[in-house]
Amino acid sequence: MPRDTLSEAGDEALLVLYANGDPMAARALVARLLPPLLRYATRVLGDGAEAEDVVQEVLLRLWRIAPDWRPGGAQPRTWAYRVAGNLCTDRLRARRHHVPGGLAEAPEAPDPAPGVLARMAEGDRMAALDAALLALPERQRMAVVLRHIEGLPNPEIAEILGAGVEAAESLVARGKRALQAMLGGRKADLGYEGEER
Amino acid sequence: MSDLENLFEEARRSTPAPSAGLEARVLADALRLQPRPRALEGAGSLSYSAPVAPGFWAQLAGWFGGAGALAGMAAAGFAGLAVGYLQPAGLAGLTTLLLTDVAVAEAPVELMPGLDALLPEE
Repeated sequence: MPRDTLSEAGDEALLVLYANGDPMAARALVARLLPPLLRYATRVLGDGAEAEDVVQEVLLRLWRIAPDWRPGGAQPRTWAYRVAGNLCTDRLRARRHHVPGGLAEAPEAPDPAPGVLARMAEGDRMAALDAALLALPERQRMAVVLRHIEGLPNPEIAEILGAGVEAAESLVARGKRALQAMLGGRKADLGYEGEER
Repeated sequence: MSDLENLFEEARRSTPAPSAGLEARVLADALRLQPRPRALEGAGSLSYSAPVAPGFWAQLAGWFGGAGALAGMAAAGFAGLAVGYLQPAGLAGLTTLLLTDVAVAEAPVELMPGLDALLPEE
């Protein structure tokens, strides 16, 4: 399929083309899916190298499932985010089980103050946001990232998290409130000194 | 827009740069796992399974009205070869009768009426 036609094709069409041997379809799919998946996994895991492993694994599974893909169901993007979330959860769980001193699981909402405040003191806004996100419980973190950074609608977030729409909305709302509590009232630290918004 | 919304906006614009090898590894996986391309009819079509060109025997069967008819033709052909090669009893005499001038001369038959009456008068 000509390159300009590929750019107009949906993700699902690209996946079907890939499964039928189109030599350019994989490249087009990677261009579309790799950046958002990497962004999502990096913010959920807080580790770029681990996030890359997750993204490679997600796309590997996508290539394998492509010949059996049935159009009309979940979109490839939704499926990919869901697999990425599950792989991130596995890695986060494995980290908790390797906490020095035993198998005690880390609390769901550890004290965020040191990391977040440190970043804010440095004036690094993005680092402060990332630190605050990492302080959230995992599913709230995923929900907030999917909604407010990836820009996905709540029904799609629900599908990705394997939850109902109301549960997804609740996760987004609670996560955002927690972030506000960690980051709010710190205008000066976040570089807003003298600005009124 | 709230401070947090500003942060979200900034985060949307900042995508972590992948390492040099990530895209190459992902594409290598794609190439390794990609099914072999099927023949596509025309450059603009989405994928579907184009009709495969029929093989020689399928085409031959089509000319004779199907595989069954082709089988019947083949059987008749083999039977003819067998009759000619094996020369069953009685066949040799019939062959001689049909193919020699002696047989024709010994059994003249006026099959055609005289044509003189039809010739134009000179």
